[in-house]
Amino acid sequence: MTATRDSVALVTGASGGIGRATAERLAGAGYRLAINYLTNRAAGESVATALGGRAYCADVSDPAAVEELVARVETELGPIAIAVSNAGVYQRVALEDVTDEHWRRTLRINLGGAFHLTRAVAPGMRRRRQGSIVFVASELALVGSDRASPYVAAKAALIGLGRSLARELAPEIRVNVVAPGPVDTPLLPDSERGPAYTAAIPLRRIGRPEEIASAIVHMAEAPWTTGAVYSPNGGVVIQ
Amino acid sequence: MNSARVALVTGSAGGLGRALVAGLGAANWEIAAATHRGGAFAADLADPEQARSLIARVIERYGRLDLLVANHAAMTMAPVDRYPLDDWWRVVDTNLSGSFYLARAAVSHLRTTRGAIVFVSSEWGITGWPEASAYAASKAGLVGLTRALARELAPAIRVNAIAPGIIDTPQLQVDAGAAGISLGEMKSRYADAIPLRRIATPREIAATVAFLASDDAAFYTGQVLHPNGGTTTAS
Ligand SMILES: NC(=O)c1ccc[n+]([C@@H]2O[C@H](COP(=O)([O-])OP(=O)(O)OC[C@H]3O[C@@H](n4cnc5c(N)ncnc54)[C@H](OP(=O)(O)O)[C@@H]3O)[C@@H](O)[C@H]2O)c1
Repeated sequence: MTATRDSVALVTGASGGIGRATAERLAGAGYRLAINYLTNRAAGESVATALGGRAYCADVSDPAAVEELVARVETELGPIAIAVSNAGVYQRVALEDVTDEHWRRTLRINLGGAFHLTRAVAPGMRRRRQGSIVFVASELALVGSDRASPYVAAKAALIGLGRSLARELAPEIRVNVVAPGPVDTPLLPDSERGPAYTAAIPLRRIGRPEEIASAIVHMAEAPWTTGAVYSPNGGVVIQ
Repeated sequence: MNSARVALVTGSAGGLGRALVAGLGAANWEIAAATHRGGAFAADLADPEQARSLIARVIERYGRLDLLVANHAAMTMAPVDRYPLDDWWRVVDTNLSGSFYLARAAVSHLRTTRGAIVFVSSEWGITGWPEASAYAASKAGLVGLTRALARELAPAIRVNAIAPGIIDTPQLQVDAGAAGISLGEMKSRYADAIPLRRIATPREIAATVAFLASDDAAFYTGQVLHPNGGTTTAS
């Protein structure tokens, strides 16, 4: 076990679907929860209240804000044993229509968020000789997708980042990646949840946030697992 | 309009870049050899505006574009929690964003010629590497970009990548210096970890790119070839 179950877990983007489910599962396992959100304060606060944790507003694309987030969590709740980089944004745009700003923002949130979080939590975890980090990537990084090049590139980069950091931060800190298929959260557009779409999924439905949360928490707690990429995806990717 | 097929090769002054220019030239490609600094096709590709202008200059000069080989790269190493932020993003924005900016600017021209793109990724992007978090992330991102653009741009444009292992380029001298050993020792240290017991020549890596660019590879898209002497079996 990487952590005793009264220690602290931080989940970014925990005001959203997968983040909230992950926070709930971690709280159920006994962790004290730091709930990060950006714009949806009501959701962030209500998740924190329901789980007896604390809510923290921070933009993960801003390295200084993430340093401050981690410092505040460790002062107010205690040392972070598990950090889940889950905050992300997804928009479908054709290559020619991707603006410089859209590209930059997608990369800074979906890739930078994980980098910023890791650099902020790693020194403390290393000092305490225990820590576990999970990045939430996407199944689309494994197989590609049209009209989503910034998202797919950022999520694929996140997998390379996770594998590098797993090597670099071992043996004290484990780093793993969960790459979900389509999941029922506000992030998923209607076009990716209708019958025509789910007919192409071997298990014939999109995933539930709790089904991703269980994978995240499993990897966070698996003591001999690092640098792994696990993709719960209903069979969309079988390779 | 020029009738020879035109290839833009970035990072053309580097060890692999020079071999790409020679190899593609031998395969009868007309080559626009882009560099970071100096010459008609100089550009800092971390800057989207300069990537756009590079493509515009190639079109102005040759009237067409059939092949984009995004081979330029920046590389620094540092522990993740001590990695200067500007350096980290400089590597990612040069290697990954720069390749994206080029592809975006080139796509309308490549549609016209039913052309191809080859991204130069790296074995480290597949396996990860300690203290190379920026470089490995950028090169892994190129694998994702390959798969995304292959789906999006088919059937007009083929998009593939290579993920080479260690190549015999001037970078090895830098690595040897950093490790405080001779160049020969550096090479044999790398070779020992490779099933084929040697590092790659730039020429054979360029040949892999020339293959992906050629009509012989007309049914390849979204693929990553791994000329690495057998070090990885992963995708
Ligand atoms: N749903 C899917 O089908 C699917 C599939 C594969 C991967 N994923 C990944 O799963 C993760 C969670 O997504 P979800 O489906 O749960 O979507 P969601 O319900 O839209 O949640 C996204 C979360 O990210 C937060 N966020 C966005 N930008 C942020 C920033 N700059 N700083 C801090 N927080 C930020 C949002 O916070 P606020 O709302 O408070 O602003 C929200 O809590 C994402 O990384 C996503 O890419 C989702």
